[in-house]
Amino acid sequence: MHIPDNFLSTPVWAALDAVSISAVGLMVKRASRELEETRVPLLGVMGAFVFAAQMINFPVGAGTSGHLVGGALLACTLGPAPAVLVMTTIIAIQAIVFQDGGVLALGANVFNMAVAGVLVGYWPFQLWGASRRRTAIFMGGFLSVMASGSLALAELLISGVAMPQAWVFTSLGLFAVNAIIEGAITISVIQALEKVNPGFVQQAKRSSGRALAALSGAGVLLGITGFLLASSAPDGIQRLGQRLGISTKPGFDTPLANYTLGHFESAWLRRAAAGLAGLLLIYAICTAGARMIGRRRSA
Amino acid sequence: MHHVLVDQWSQGASPLHARDPRAKVMVLLIFLVALATTAPDAAVTLTIDAALLVAGILIAGLPPGGLLLRAMAILPFSLTFGLISWLAGDRLRAIGLAEKSYLSTAAVLLLVGTTPLPRLLSGLESMGCPRLLVLLAQFLYRYLFVISEQAQHLRLAAACREGRARKNRRSKFRAAAGALAVLFARSYYRAEGIHQAMLARAFAGRFATLNPLRFRATDGLFTAALAVLLILARLP
Repeated sequence: MHIPDNFLSTPVWAALDAVSISAVGLMVKRASRELEETRVPLLGVMGAFVFAAQMINFPVGAGTSGHLVGGALLACTLGPAPAVLVMTTIIAIQAIVFQDGGVLALGANVFNMAVAGVLVGYWPFQLWGASRRRTAIFMGGFLSVMASGSLALAELLISGVAMPQAWVFTSLGLFAVNAIIEGAITISVIQALEKVNPGFVQQAKRSSGRALAALSGAGVLLGITGFLLASSAPDGIQRLGQRLGISTKPGFDTPLANYTLGHFESAWLRRAAAGLAGLLLIYAICTAGARMIGRRRSA
Repeated sequence: MHHVLVDQWSQGASPLHARDPRAKVMVLLIFLVALATTAPDAAVTLTIDAALLVAGILIAGLPPGGLLLRAMAILPFSLTFGLISWLAGDRLRAIGLAEKSYLSTAAVLLLVGTTPLPRLLSGLESMGCPRLLVLLAQFLYRYLFVISEQAQHLRLAAACREGRARKNRRSKFRAAAGALAVLFARSYYRAEGIHQAMLARAFAGRFATLNPLRFRATDGLFTAALAVLLILARLP
């Protein structure tokens, strides 16, 4: 699901570009700290592998077939930070060379598929990789595709692209089917890989960075559900706020109240602002949480 | 194949090919941002943008029909969403989705059609893109076709072995997983071999180029002129 240019509204793509640039920058730092020089060509060639893997069809039934998306597989084999970089490069090459996805929307696509897709895909493996390995890998593939798809859908909705309710739920259903297929492909490929060379697959350590993993996973899932709730039922957040006894309206109104952009109406602007504020908040919490945990562990 | 054709286009020798990749990237970004913030019914702005694009294609000597046809790959997606917007009564957005996403795609195609990817990437590197990502993209693009061909061989071999035997879905699925695992392992070992060979040829962490990038006065003039033009067109 590559979003082309001009589908997202300006605040949405601009904010996601900013988020993706900082997230990928962070991953570059982490990866260059962990990575030996010899692994750089490896990452590039593995990117080519993910591209090529799309040619191999997996029979799914009813005459259709699916193919590997790859976020969770890369995370389980190369490690999360290098996997984010490989996926980022793949999405950038697809946007620039193959015109699959927009250039301004690159930040959004990178966030959906490379950052969220890989980190959420790695989360179950990190949590339960040691004890419930098969389930964890399957869940990784499932969550990876599900997160990417619903984030893309949520961003389109926040941008005000009209979609009937039925269409939204149909898309979510299709994402779920694709996500199950991705989970099945990921687990069967990893099992086959372990037969070739067990060293290919990362060793899941017990309780390593468990809090960080939980925090990032929960943050992204919270974000997805929040966005879908906020967008498919326009007053969802406000109703929730009223039920909780807080009037949320002024909070969303004031920061961007005088901000009028072209032909857009203030109703969706408020929604977009709310969504973006949520996204930035989640990102800030995740980064701050990661920093704190990192400091405590090194201390 | 699509990318091979665009690769051929990028080897041309026109004034647009000769411009520094950084100048072209900056102009593309200004073009895309101007387009993205333009209202769908601002006919004058959109006409000027489209005219600039066509002028660029003609100056670059690229086949206009071929490029504009290739940019149509975006249409199934944008027309579907356009149709939904139309049915929802948001006609302005429907037209905007179709025409603006088409113009954006054609503009990106014009950039890659006039700039070889290695030069584009080294331009991006000097514009602040992390070196690790640039290296990764270079390796990825170099070995994309090699690994893809290997995948096709695997697929062909699997089809030959299978013949007319009717296997059930489960075993087919497992066979495909096995093929992917083999492809993974071969790519992995190939990467190790590549790295050894590159070290033996004195690879020191970056690709050397025969003609390094130079941002000339003409490049500055080109960027400034187009930036002013695009912003003036955007203003009304």
